[in-house]
Amino acid sequence: MVADTRDSRALRTAGRLNEPRPARVEANFDGTPSQVNHVAVALLREEWRVVDRWWTEEPVLRRYFELVLETGENTVVFHDGAGGRWYTQRGA
Amino acid sequence: MIACLSIPGFELKAALRARPSLSTRPAALAPGAGEEPLLGPVTAAAEAAGVLPRMRLGEALATCPELVLVEADPAAAERAWEEIVRALEDAGFSVEPAALGVAYFETRGVERLYGGLEPALRRALAATGAQWDARIGAAARRFAALAAASVAKPGNVMLVREQDVAQFLAPLPLTLLPLERRQYDELEALGVRQLGQLAGLPGGAVAERLGPDGRRAWGLARGGAAARVRGRRPPAELVESLEFPEAVGNELTLRRALGALVETALARPERRDRFVRKVALGARLVSTGSGAGGSWRRTLTLREPSADADRIRVALAPRLAELPAPVLELRLELVELTEPVGRQLELLAAGAEDRTRLREGLRQVRASTGSGSVCTVMEVAPWSRIPETRALFVPRDD
Repeated sequence: MVADTRDSRALRTAGRLNEPRPARVEANFDGTPSQVNHVAVALLREEWRVVDRWWTEEPVLRRYFELVLETGENTVVFHDGAGGRWYTQRGA
Repeated sequence: MIACLSIPGFELKAALRARPSLSTRPAALAPGAGEEPLLGPVTAAAEAAGVLPRMRLGEALATCPELVLVEADPAAAERAWEEIVRALEDAGFSVEPAALGVAYFETRGVERLYGGLEPALRRALAATGAQWDARIGAAARRFAALAAASVAKPGNVMLVREQDVAQFLAPLPLTLLPLERRQYDELEALGVRQLGQLAGLPGGAVAERLGPDGRRAWGLARGGAAARVRGRRPPAELVESLEFPEAVGNELTLRRALGALVETALARPERRDRFVRKVALGARLVSTGSGAGGSWRRTLTLREPSADADRIRVALAPRLAELPAPVLELRLELVELTEPVGRQLELLAAGAEDRTRLREGLRQVRASTGSGSVCTVMEVAPWSRIPETRALFVPRDD
């Protein structure tokens, strides 16, 4: 009998680092966030877009914002163009 | 007393040793490749024709069209300087070279040998050789000795007694001080042109205006500290050179030549199992059309003394990329050797204890929080624009 050489334990539990987390975001009329999880935005530091995997069934269309909140916290949120929801994400 | 031996324009004089006929003609040391086009030291004939050191090349050639530009020969200059320092050491002086053409030495130990201070200084001048036009200044403090040497006449000695230092320094120009150009200009704009004027200002005010350099210069203008002279350890004489049949510019060939030189030098019996601390790599360069080709030299102090050919070769090889022209001769000098001493090797590999402690800590975390709680981050697509696809965390249960 030949043993399965795959590391079944790793396959079972390996996770993605910096997975997006749903966030509650209030946006201005131009789409920029004004509140993230009930905390007001003090400064919008940067904005960029990621368009990827458009050739697949699950295209990625995101509008990212790097923000400083009124509490002093730095955070990155994005608006998912495909699902219409907001997420926070580390490591972006 | 501290004595300072000074040979103004030393690099030019060293370069002219190969072309002595130029010494009596207007000549100047040419600016190095890639440097600002300013002249180096000039001969007396050039100075008489109106050409001054640090003059712009264009201006100098307009002033004196027959001016001959002499290419710098740093390897020859270092060899000549080494000869002078050795001659002084042979005469009994413990010498501290400060730069090419400037060296300090203490006279106390040899005054009785030569029958007094002045005879000792005359002996030092004689050891240096008349062709260099050396001059010596002596004082109780280093800066005062340097200042005295800068005003002494060629082949002469100037003594400054401690009680006369302030009076002696007062009328001398500020250019003796180690300041930047803009700081000289700033002082000149304030009407300060002489050491005495600077020394007369309050130290705090000078420091506030010119910063730490200014404060140091102010201290020197008042005579400076009486720092001791630390004689050097005479360098080793282990030189290997390789002359090529034709000029070589190919880096691979030069690297191979360097490897051969390192191995030959280390195999020399004179090394007597000593480790190498400082090495110098020199080269004679191909002529660039304006007379004899120049030379090139780089010294390197190894972080740890070594007798390992590979380590020395790896340390020196990047210097070959700095060669400005093809090479006719490559030369390796083992400048400083250390006495062989035992080296304590490690019984356990470095960091082994840390790793053991970390493993034990992780085992305890795992025991209290359960399997799968300790993970390793594994990069899978670090180039991806989608952050969550760049890395995975994989549990470690080992």
